[in-house]
Amino acid sequence: MQSENREEELIVIRAKLKELLVSNLNMEGVTAEQIKDDDQLFGEGLGLDSLDAVEIVVILQRHFGVDVKDMEQGREIFRSVTTLANYIYDTKQGQK
Amino acid sequence: MNVAGMGLVHTRGRGIAALEQALEQGWVAPATVEVRGVDPGTLPVYPVSAETLTDKTVLAKARRADRFTRMSVLAACDALDDSGLSPHLDRSKLGVIVGTALGPHATTFSFLDGILDFGDAAVSPTAFSHSVHNAAASYIAMTLEARGPTLTVTHFRFAFHQALILADIWLAERRCDAVLVGVTEELGAVMQHVCARMLHPAADGRIKPFAFSQKPEAVPGEGSAFFLVTREAAGKAYGNLTDMTCNASAPTSGIDLQILDACGLTHNEQPYRHLVIPTVPVTGYAPLFGSIPVISGFHAAVAALMLKQQRVYAAPVRENPATILISDTTGPKPLSNVLCSSLDDAGRYGVFRVTNGH
Amino acid sequence: MTEPVFVSGMGVVSAAGTNVPETLVGFAAGRRNLSRTTPRLTPLDFPIFEAPTLLGGFLAGSRSLRLCGHALSEALAGAHLGPDLSGYRVGVCLGTTVASQLNDIDFYTAYRQTGLPELGPVTSFLKGNPAEAVARATGATGPTLTVVNACSSSADAIGVAMGWLRADLCDLVIAGGTDELSRIPICGFRSLSVFSSEPCRPYDRDRQGLNLGEGAGVLILETAASAQRRKVTPTWCIAGYGAACDAHHLTAPRPDGTGLEAAIRISLTDAGIAPSEITFVNAHGTATRDNDKVEGGVLARMFGPDIRVLSTKGFTGHTLGAAGALEAAFTALALSEGWIPASPGFENQDAEIPIGAVRERTTISGRWALSTALAFGGNNAALVIGRCA
Repeated sequence: MQSENREEELIVIRAKLKELLVSNLNMEGVTAEQIKDDDQLFGEGLGLDSLDAVEIVVILQRHFGVDVKDMEQGREIFRSVTTLANYIYDTKQGQK
Repeated sequence: MNVAGMGLVHTRGRGIAALEQALEQGWVAPATVEVRGVDPGTLPVYPVSAETLTDKTVLAKARRADRFTRMSVLAACDALDDSGLSPHLDRSKLGVIVGTALGPHATTFSFLDGILDFGDAAVSPTAFSHSVHNAAASYIAMTLEARGPTLTVTHFRFAFHQALILADIWLAERRCDAVLVGVTEELGAVMQHVCARMLHPAADGRIKPFAFSQKPEAVPGEGSAFFLVTREAAGKAYGNLTDMTCNASAPTSGIDLQILDACGLTHNEQPYRHLVIPTVPVTGYAPLFGSIPVISGFHAAVAALMLKQQRVYAAPVRENPATILISDTTGPKPLSNVLCSSLDDAGRYGVFRVTNGH
Repeated sequence: MTEPVFVSGMGVVSAAGTNVPETLVGFAAGRRNLSRTTPRLTPLDFPIFEAPTLLGGFLAGSRSLRLCGHALSEALAGAHLGPDLSGYRVGVCLGTTVASQLNDIDFYTAYRQTGLPELGPVTSFLKGNPAEAVARATGATGPTLTVVNACSSSADAIGVAMGWLRADLCDLVIAGGTDELSRIPICGFRSLSVFSSEPCRPYDRDRQGLNLGEGAGVLILETAASAQRRKVTPTWCIAGYGAACDAHHLTAPRPDGTGLEAAIRISLTDAGIAPSEITFVNAHGTATRDNDKVEGGVLARMFGPDIRVLSTKGFTGHTLGAAGALEAAFTALALSEGWIPASPGFENQDAEIPIGAVRERTTISGRWALSTALAFGGNNAALVIGRCA
């Protein structure tokens, strides 16, 4: 039951994340639908950079109420939409 | 120094062709924006359209860029492109100077929105980094691979003159083989509000450069004008920018045409009357571009174009209570010396000449 | 090589001291005057380097202007000049970041809430362009320019001033920079994740980021002919200036440091000096992971691993638009005093950086030193500073 809820919530979080990434990072020529869950966000993947990384921190704060305290830890979290969504879900579970 | 290429972004479009078209067509009525809290609740403005600022190729590296930066990058890239010199320039000797009075203020306010809406700990780093005045220069350098010195300078009235003086020095010292020197100003919503309250908006939508009024009328505008300048004649060789100063009297002999920067931004434009050289036709194109603190840059472009074409464009608005000699026809005319004259509120006189070297 | 320009007076104000003598005492003692942000400034809690409250002064208006006026008074006195410069050919070139922005948060809050804010802050802003304000206050009639090149602003301002003097546009220039602590860069730099929650540790293995500071540095620059006419004997000179852009990224330095390297090479050529003649480098050394790594790599490559390096940001914090001028002044003072202070916050060398900073007060005897600045937007600036005799 728990894991079904988790997967359902993650689907919602991932969809919301994609919309926010496209609009807040001004990802021109990319639509939310085109971003795959496991696409690499930085470098060769979607081509995001260090300034986008800190902007994503703000997206997480403003829209999910989740903080990223340590940018080093962030490297793993920021790999893809999947890892970001997992981090958001797990952190929010931890806050409950 | 030689003007090898020019790029402009203004209310009538982008590029030299749009400039020519605007000069041929003359004055057109400004747009109107709503401004809260002031009577009559509207302000005439000359804005740059979003469409003008769309260019997926030139702005490919500027997805995050704000309007101020977009205007600057487009004008600077067009100036380099116009010169045809791009393939031959040593990028380590290509400098960039951006002059502005007010900088990217809309982004500063957008950053303040972040503080007010989300608190100090959840502000946008992108907004912050773009609110820093030299973001536009940085984007120009990135887009064009310009690795010479890059500098952003502010002065409320003579940013263009000061930028030109510096470009001239960089060329003379051989720090640079070419410099992209230009000016940018944007007109955000807060600035519109400030303009509506601090200036005298022109009810009829006309800036009157020759009214020499103690309450000069303004139609706030925005845009960017860039020049690729070189030591020797190169590129399009529009003419030479020379005699830039903000603290000396201007040369008055041998001038064929005088352009006045009067555009409704100084408290009192009466002193402009004393700058007019009696025997020389006078003109002023602020009514086409709007009241812009760096209007001098736009006037330099018009002067350079006229020299290149050996053609004058009639002053777009010609109200003439002081009955001075106004340049009132459009057509071919031999030109070798155009003087651009500007005044600030303290009575300082800014001036430069555009000549074709004859 | 081109002619050097001379420094006939200088004034400094920062958390390290309100004038030159006080600053030197603090440097010798290794004193770090850190305080913390106050709720008046921001709800965020971070260490900062706040300059002391200043009474009176040369310039009224914003804190940035008052800081500038304070440093200007000391600089003019050092140069044997009075406050009225209308009899000379004087230019004014100052760097800033905060003073160039209309960023008054009360004004903007009122605009959002009522739609009809008081326009006082706008009027102050329009009178507050530092170079224009100083020109008005001193009667300077030469070229007047405020440089807004982020963190290299006032190093570049000194470079611009050199250009004016060498081109004979004026005989004297008031050159430098000023910035007050402000909520905008505090929030902004924090959001970029480059803020340290502890006292900054430039070049240290465990550095976490920068602390912001405030202050002003003003140098009276002068041609040799003008100094001779005025019968003053300057102690220092600026012999070379170099600037070059990374053309890489808005907020990150080019990893290979080639932009900084170009700026340093140009400054050395401009001064006609070999890298081996540089006694020490007052590095930009912000204590961010990226800056120190890139800068350290370049300095090691150009000057060898034994070059003496310090970052005075451990004493002042990062004073943004004032940093280049303050650090130029500190560099000049070290040359005439014959020592450099221990670089505050440096303990352990970083394995990723081939050089470390000086750990103790070090005697020096050379004539030439280098001061560097790396800015947001990718501009790099370098100044070669000399002792006259």
